[in-house]
Amino acid sequence: MKYLALVLKSARRSKRRTALTIVSVALAVFLFATLRAVLDGFTAGAAASSSTRIITIRSTSLIFSMPTSHADAIRSVPGVRDLTWANWFGGIYKDQAHSFANFAIEPESYLRMYPEILLSADERSAFLADRTGCIIGESLARTNGWKVGDRVTLKVGIPTYGTRDYDFTIRGIYRSSSSAVDTQSMMFHWKYADERSLVKGQAGWFITRIASPDQEAQVAGAIDAKFANSPYETKTDTEKAFASSFISMFGNLNLLLGSIALAVVVATLFVAGNTMAMSVRERTTEIAVMRTLGFPGGTIFSLIAIEALLMSIVGGVVGVVLARIAINPRVLPSGGFIPEVSVDTQNIVVGLGLSAVIGAVSGLIPATLAARLKIVDALRRVA
Amino acid sequence: MALIELRGVTKSYQRDSNEIVVLDGVTISIAEGDFMALMGPSGSGKSTLLNLLAGIDRPTRGAITVAGTDISGLSERALAAWRARHIGFIFQLYNLIPVLTAFENVELPLLLTGLTKKQRRDHVLTALGIVGLSDREKHYPRQLSGGQEQRVAIARAIVTDPTLLLADEPTGDLDAKSAAEILTLLQRLNRDYKKTIVMVTHDPHAAERASHVVHLEKGTLAETVVNG
Amino acid sequence: MGLISNYNLRSMLVRKATAAMTAGGIAMVVAVFVMTLAIAQGFRATLVASGSPQNAIVLRKGATSETVSAVLRGDVPILESLPQIARDGDGRPLASPELVVIIALPRSTDNQPANVPVRGVGPRAFALRTNLKFVEGRPLTPGTREINVGRLATGRFKGLSLGSDVKFGSNTWKVVGIFTADDASFESEVWGDVDLMQPAFQRNGYQSMTVKLADPSMFDSFKAAVEGDPRLMLEPQREQDYYADQSRPVTTLISVFGTFVTLILSIGAMAGAMNTMYAAVAYRTREIGTLRALGFGRLRIVSAFLVESVALAAIGGAAGCILALPVHGLSTGTTNFSSFSEVAFKFRITPALLAGGLVFAMVMGAVGGLLPALRAARIPVARALREI
Repeated sequence: MKYLALVLKSARRSKRRTALTIVSVALAVFLFATLRAVLDGFTAGAAASSSTRIITIRSTSLIFSMPTSHADAIRSVPGVRDLTWANWFGGIYKDQAHSFANFAIEPESYLRMYPEILLSADERSAFLADRTGCIIGESLARTNGWKVGDRVTLKVGIPTYGTRDYDFTIRGIYRSSSSAVDTQSMMFHWKYADERSLVKGQAGWFITRIASPDQEAQVAGAIDAKFANSPYETKTDTEKAFASSFISMFGNLNLLLGSIALAVVVATLFVAGNTMAMSVRERTTEIAVMRTLGFPGGTIFSLIAIEALLMSIVGGVVGVVLARIAINPRVLPSGGFIPEVSVDTQNIVVGLGLSAVIGAVSGLIPATLAARLKIVDALRRVA
Repeated sequence: MALIELRGVTKSYQRDSNEIVVLDGVTISIAEGDFMALMGPSGSGKSTLLNLLAGIDRPTRGAITVAGTDISGLSERALAAWRARHIGFIFQLYNLIPVLTAFENVELPLLLTGLTKKQRRDHVLTALGIVGLSDREKHYPRQLSGGQEQRVAIARAIVTDPTLLLADEPTGDLDAKSAAEILTLLQRLNRDYKKTIVMVTHDPHAAERASHVVHLEKGTLAETVVNG
Repeated sequence: MGLISNYNLRSMLVRKATAAMTAGGIAMVVAVFVMTLAIAQGFRATLVASGSPQNAIVLRKGATSETVSAVLRGDVPILESLPQIARDGDGRPLASPELVVIIALPRSTDNQPANVPVRGVGPRAFALRTNLKFVEGRPLTPGTREINVGRLATGRFKGLSLGSDVKFGSNTWKVVGIFTADDASFESEVWGDVDLMQPAFQRNGYQSMTVKLADPSMFDSFKAAVEGDPRLMLEPQREQDYYADQSRPVTTLISVFGTFVTLILSIGAMAGAMNTMYAAVAYRTREIGTLRALGFGRLRIVSAFLVESVALAAIGGAAGCILALPVHGLSTGTTNFSSFSEVAFKFRITPALLAGGLVFAMVMGAVGGLLPALRAARIPVARALREI
């Protein structure tokens, strides 16, 4: 790579221009990686869903409940290995601004059905033993500075749960082994909510474990058939479908974030391409001289192209490093219902790839022009 | 009273740790109506002297007085204003603005005055008439020959009726015929319009057209020759 | 100024490709800016159009939205008797007890189940909302299972066209009319008789009561009367305030996101503008020297180049605005998390937004062009003249 020195010197020719180009590529890559990370954050849960868990809700919509007596009927369906249920509680902690997901679970079966929830044996038994106990996801605990033993009070959000505030004691702080379960939620005993509910014995959704994924359609159909034409008709679907429907509620995120990413790339191509073109224009005479000395057009092309690529990749590295540092749950405000966002290896690779593409594309035309420059024209421009 | 007086003018630069002296204690007087040629080998400091006269550079030591004003002490802003009023500069490479027409190039210095559009127009047409390019007012520099470009530049230099015309190698880039035309024009400006001209040149033929020639060598005056 | 208009603007056009690319970069930034804020504006406009200055909405004390509120049957006659409420020609109070539930219907864009708001309304609900107009069919007949659907809802969710039968709450309901409401959130809703909805959804009681005040100034006395009555656990809000609060979380989120992205993008664009202007200054060094030699002062040189940069950016900004325009009026939707229901709305580009985009572009041009412009003026004249 004897030409590397030449390329580097060229880039140092105008330190400012090189710096500005690196900055714009870095920002583009930073944004790109961030947008991808945001999209991943939203879709991670659905992507990691278990293929052997299916969810049963009221066919009317999620906001309606079903009697817990449905559980027996469901258990009798062939192919059902295990069952649990949960209710959306929607309790308010301090005020709307501090809101987070909180729901009532059938404790023993729920923890069994969701092995992703990681609790120490002590915390687990303490939680199961305490009717007013609760478990908090570690991210939520961090946000609010909670430890095991702290007391948490929730005001009733949904009128059906009565009027008195609910007091809880934190019995465990759980971690999650998969994106399928987030750590920004709070879970507590279903019985505690039920005993104060205006209508007793209601479940928000049932979670059923099936033996193998290919039985899904059959078991789901059988479950729904049990309650067809009853006042509590159900709709059963995979956990993935259930999670996906939540994501789609935000809007067409793919389209929105994708369009922005596209605009980012195009804008950067303009800037980077412009820079390379300007830099080449400045060097017209030198290039002509080199051609006179005998450098073939192909070499000239490579020199320019490599310079463009180099600047872009440096920018790309800066961009992904910045993204990695800045975009993670510790720095970004997440919490509540916004999923945690962080830049993972895949995003980094894509970001770097993008910078290489920008470098290649922006360098293409200037490099070609430089290679094809008519020596005579170039030398004439000196005087 | 001399129009221009230079007294003990020195100009030096610091290049790394060396001091490079370009002009060393130069003292000259230039009378009104003079046509003076400045000659000397390359590096003798003649262009620097011209720049000092024009107020686009400052002497390291010494005083320069033009029409009674000591310009070596003026601020940057005052110098710019002074320059606009008193100096007409003619460059070797013409230095016309490529995106402006001949008319607009000549009009440029007038934008610094308070004249109305019509008044400016009159001055420009007069100047172009003097240099014989009235029919080219709408042309762009690239559409003009070297000689024509220099004539436009001269028109620009005289349009404000300046106290002093400074020409830096005005024929350096021209062929013999065009060069002769330019020199004739300069002589005319000096004789018929009483313009004071200081011209830097290394061409003895050009120097012949001046009323007297001053030789610079290594930053100091060598000799003065009066032309017949 | 003579110098600026001719010299600089024409100089800008000489290097067309460079100018075009710089303007292009700025155009992209402005386009993103306008488009993302158009989403926020559209959402906000929809929610704000939903609130009439003369209406008030009564919710349970402490309830943050209708969905978590409760108004008892017994509360209704007490409220209706209050003198601040306007009355219709027959002397009946213009008040509507209401209940909102969510049913799942497939979304026409991706077939995913969407949370469609179904609003049970009292018979005088139509009189309360003056911007409501029927574009197809007719208003529902109280006491029947007839329903009306907002136009934006018919576009966004499947199965809600005129004449369709919609099955929910163990009954079948028929769509007899489609209405518009200036893009208010009601246009994303399905309306039916509230007294038939209650048993259908196993509910007992209402969630809210919307009333039309005889005069907007009567709100304070109305509020005092409701809150002062020991029989009621309710609190009224101005309808406009209610909907403004409802829209705030989502609007803020979108605006913050849009601003964040645009800001970062703009730094890149400014870097590009800076590059271009530095190159322009370098290319025209001798010209600048000439101008200074002629007597043009430093300030004039600086302002000339600054204007050139700003003008170029303005062109880019205008292009960006034009690029963004097609999204105006485009229908989209998102979920209003306060009510958990899907709200359809349209991208909304206002003249103010376009002006903002243009100003933003010019600021980018000014910031990017400042340092190069300063450099242009600072080159020593003699040195500038020697440049090739």
